Amino acid sequence: MRWRFILSIIGILSIFLGISMGFALLWGLYYRDGSVHPLLISMGITLLSGILIYFFSRSPKTDYISHKEGMTIVAIGWIAAGFFGALPFYIGGTFDLFADAYFESVSGFTTTGSSVMTNIEAVSRGLLFWRSLIQWLGGMGIIVLSVAILPFLGVGGMQLYKAEVPSPVPDKLKPRVRDTALILWKVYALISLAQVILLMVGGMDLFDSVCHTFTTMPTGGFSPKNASIAHYNSTYIDMVINFFMLVAGINFALHYQFLRGKPLVFWKDSECRFFLAAVLVLVAVVSLDIYGPVYKSVGQALRYGSFQVISILTTTGFATADYEQWPAFSQLVLLLCMFIGASAGSTGGGMKCLRVMLYLKYCYRELFSLIHPRSVTQIKIQGKPVPEDVMRSVLGFMGLYMGLFVLSSVLLAWLGVDLVTAIAAVTAALGNIGPGLGMVGPVDNFSQIPYMGKWLLVWCMLLGRLEIYTVIILLVPEFWRK
Amino acid sequence: MKIIIVGAGEVGFHIASRLSVENKDVVVIDKDPEAIRRVSDSIDVQAITGPGSSPVVLEEAGIKQTEILLAVTNSDEINLIACLVAHMISPATKKLARVRNADYDAYHDIFRKNAPHIDTIINPETEVVRTIDRLMSVPGAVDVEEFADGRVKFIGIHLDKDSPLDGIRLAELSSKIGKKAPLITAIVRGAVLTIPRGDDRLMAGDLIYFVTEAENLVDSLTIFDKQLEPVRRVMIVGGGRIGLRLCSLLEGKNIYTKIVEKNPDRCLELAKRLNNVVVLHGDGSNQELLTEEGIRDMDLVVTLTDDEKTNILTSLLSRRLGARKTITRITSFSYFDLMETIGIDQVVSPRLSAINTILKHIRRGKVLSAVSLKGEQAEILEAVAMETSDIVGKPLNKISFPKGVLVTVIIRKDKVMIPSGKSIIEPGDRVIIFTSRQAVSKIEKIMAVKLEYF
Repeated sequence: MRWRFILSIIGILSIFLGISMGFALLWGLYYRDGSVHPLLISMGITLLSGILIYFFSRSPKTDYISHKEGMTIVAIGWIAAGFFGALPFYIGGTFDLFADAYFESVSGFTTTGSSVMTNIEAVSRGLLFWRSLIQWLGGMGIIVLSVAILPFLGVGGMQLYKAEVPSPVPDKLKPRVRDTALILWKVYALISLAQVILLMVGGMDLFDSVCHTFTTMPTGGFSPKNASIAHYNSTYIDMVINFFMLVAGINFALHYQFLRGKPLVFWKDSECRFFLAAVLVLVAVVSLDIYGPVYKSVGQALRYGSFQVISILTTTGFATADYEQWPAFSQLVLLLCMFIGASAGSTGGGMKCLRVMLYLKYCYRELFSLIHPRSVTQIKIQGKPVPEDVMRSVLGFMGLYMGLFVLSSVLLAWLGVDLVTAIAAVTAALGNIGPGLGMVGPVDNFSQIPYMGKWLLVWCMLLGRLEIYTVIILLVPEFWRK
Repeated sequence: MKIIIVGAGEVGFHIASRLSVENKDVVVIDKDPEAIRRVSDSIDVQAITGPGSSPVVLEEAGIKQTEILLAVTNSDEINLIACLVAHMISPATKKLARVRNADYDAYHDIFRKNAPHIDTIINPETEVVRTIDRLMSVPGAVDVEEFADGRVKFIGIHLDKDSPLDGIRLAELSSKIGKKAPLITAIVRGAVLTIPRGDDRLMAGDLIYFVTEAENLVDSLTIFDKQLEPVRRVMIVGGGRIGLRLCSLLEGKNIYTKIVEKNPDRCLELAKRLNNVVVLHGDGSNQELLTEEGIRDMDLVVTLTDDEKTNILTSLLSRRLGARKTITRITSFSYFDLMETIGIDQVVSPRLSAINTILKHIRRGKVLSAVSLKGEQAEILEAVAMETSDIVGKPLNKISFPKGVLVTVIIRKDKVMIPSGKSIIEPGDRVIIFTSRQAVSKIEKIMAVKLEYF
């Protein structure tokens, strides 16, 4: 482990974050609100620490990053990003406790969207923009963005890319990882632009459109409005956001191929089919359940049912309805959605459809070989065999995910949170969703979670965003052995 | 007419012997002296030891005067290179190559149109799979051959022990069943194939070949007490290349298929390539495995391992355990006669399939297709009747055909006719002729086709 080298990259990352604070500062200057001062100070601190870290740890030029170093850089990078991202909120006085600011910041970067702000609309616009921007940056990955922009990371970039976008089967769209990262960001930016335009057509102003786009595309879920999307009460806006949440929940490699003129890619990809089928079935089930007891018309049941299901399944976390008023069945279906999550290679979280698919296929294979003890079977995705090591890693992931879920909810309950809240809060944090149930439902927020509980959830959010292995490996003694 | 055969393996050897009997000048090239000795000892051909892909060797064999080059070694690459080299030295020579790798399947046309301009690529494995497919289409049949693009079928069936047709004379057949009987073209009794006349009798246990139009197939089968039951469940023993191809075919037809393979690595490979087929690891002759996997519910068991003894054994075992039908892969022709005695009726052989295909392609020109039956005792030829031919313009019963020749079908434009003694063949008609092996060369003369090789 070359610590100086690792730190130098963290330094670059900090400089990079400092520069991006400039965008929020522009809004602050435009609206001349209270955010100029805290943003300027935070920007100064971030840039200065970045430059200092970089110059003090500057190491000889290297074109090689080991697997271990890659994971360390990504894990530490995200923890640092959370810290610098929290500065504007803390300095701006939005939160009294640094823990709250850090929670909000990590919730942003990890595209969770769980908020501890009690009155969002009272916060200055520059800070609200920063809150959206960090989600947008975190969605496609801050490290991937650095790989895309900074040429010197080119060679070792694959290690960083794999550590930050740990899809079970990584898609490399181009022979060079830097070109792959660049393409993903371009596609991401292009779709975001489309959404801004469509939201503005629906009557949203530029600031709100940009903020909502920046939190839809990464499946984040922060809204600059207290009532989230329900604030607008517009079917058009619901539908636009519904559509873009779905888009964000699909593998971006497919979007790239679609834009290159292959209209059938979505249908040909079996994970995408699984995802869309899950959306259809779950929307139908929930809408049917809430039609009658909650909503008197089919249209309304579909409108609210589809928005909530898509929002949760893609792990975005916007709300247009208080689903805690819905029947228990619908609530449990939504809880299930939190576990499944979106597609691999998308900006969504959760366990990912691909893993769920592979897991189901694995279970089927086990049953099959009980019936045919002599059979030789091979798990396949789209007719292609899945290598045994990928299968092992998926099983390991599912096990760790469930294990961490159980452990964290027990800990949260021990800290004095009620049962439903503990389960839902951990699920929401681990899956990077946002709202949960109980105390942390769609109309409440996370401010009432005990102090230590917030740190626990911060940890869960990081685990979820970096898909467990990258973070948890830091706790394994073997990792540190020289 | 000069033909060079590269590769004196099983296929090369048998084609060489077939062609030499028909008075063709055959040169066989093989780099294995042992194989060459076997060729020169037993058949009347020129044999050269050396690599068949070498230009020097091909020159020595006289490639420039050769009309047809058959590249049938075991190696796809050598076959392709031999064709390429031949193309460079002697572009006029027609080339046939045996290529088995499935990756080439989609590129046969490209090989024909571009250098090395291989006129026909033969894949014995695809041919065998096609044969099995045909056999499956008529489950009661021992042999199924198709002519005139599938509109005419030759079916070989066994006459059951308790069949009411036992002992009947052919002339009485129609009155016995009360409708027009299908034309019976051959009867195989013991190991002897005869082309029957009106006063020959059918006997229980006979293998009967009859010709029928495709749409009358069901009718014709019921006459012989056979039903056209569709095949729904198949078990394949032996997961080699043929097994894999057959699995893919059955998968495409949505037939529930199980395949048993001995080699664990090959099993994994099969599992990777197949989606809905149950791949089982084990020995196909293991009774326990067969019972456990429900052999008694199988409509068809196909044994395709490389070892014909295992195949025969497994097929017999499967029948005993309750499988409805078996198809057995056989390598040596010498076993053909034995099969019936021990109760195995449907048999396939990649070698025979390859020879059939090669013959079919060699006999191009005015002969449209040719098929060898059981142990090569008879051939069925599909040809165009030329104006110059002796068979045109007179009733069939006025033509003096050599012994063992039967005109079975006349196809005029799109009409399929089963001829009687009074039928007259017009110029341009397609005729399907059933002929015993000895009469093949006489038929060439009568047809005045001069079976032009390409």
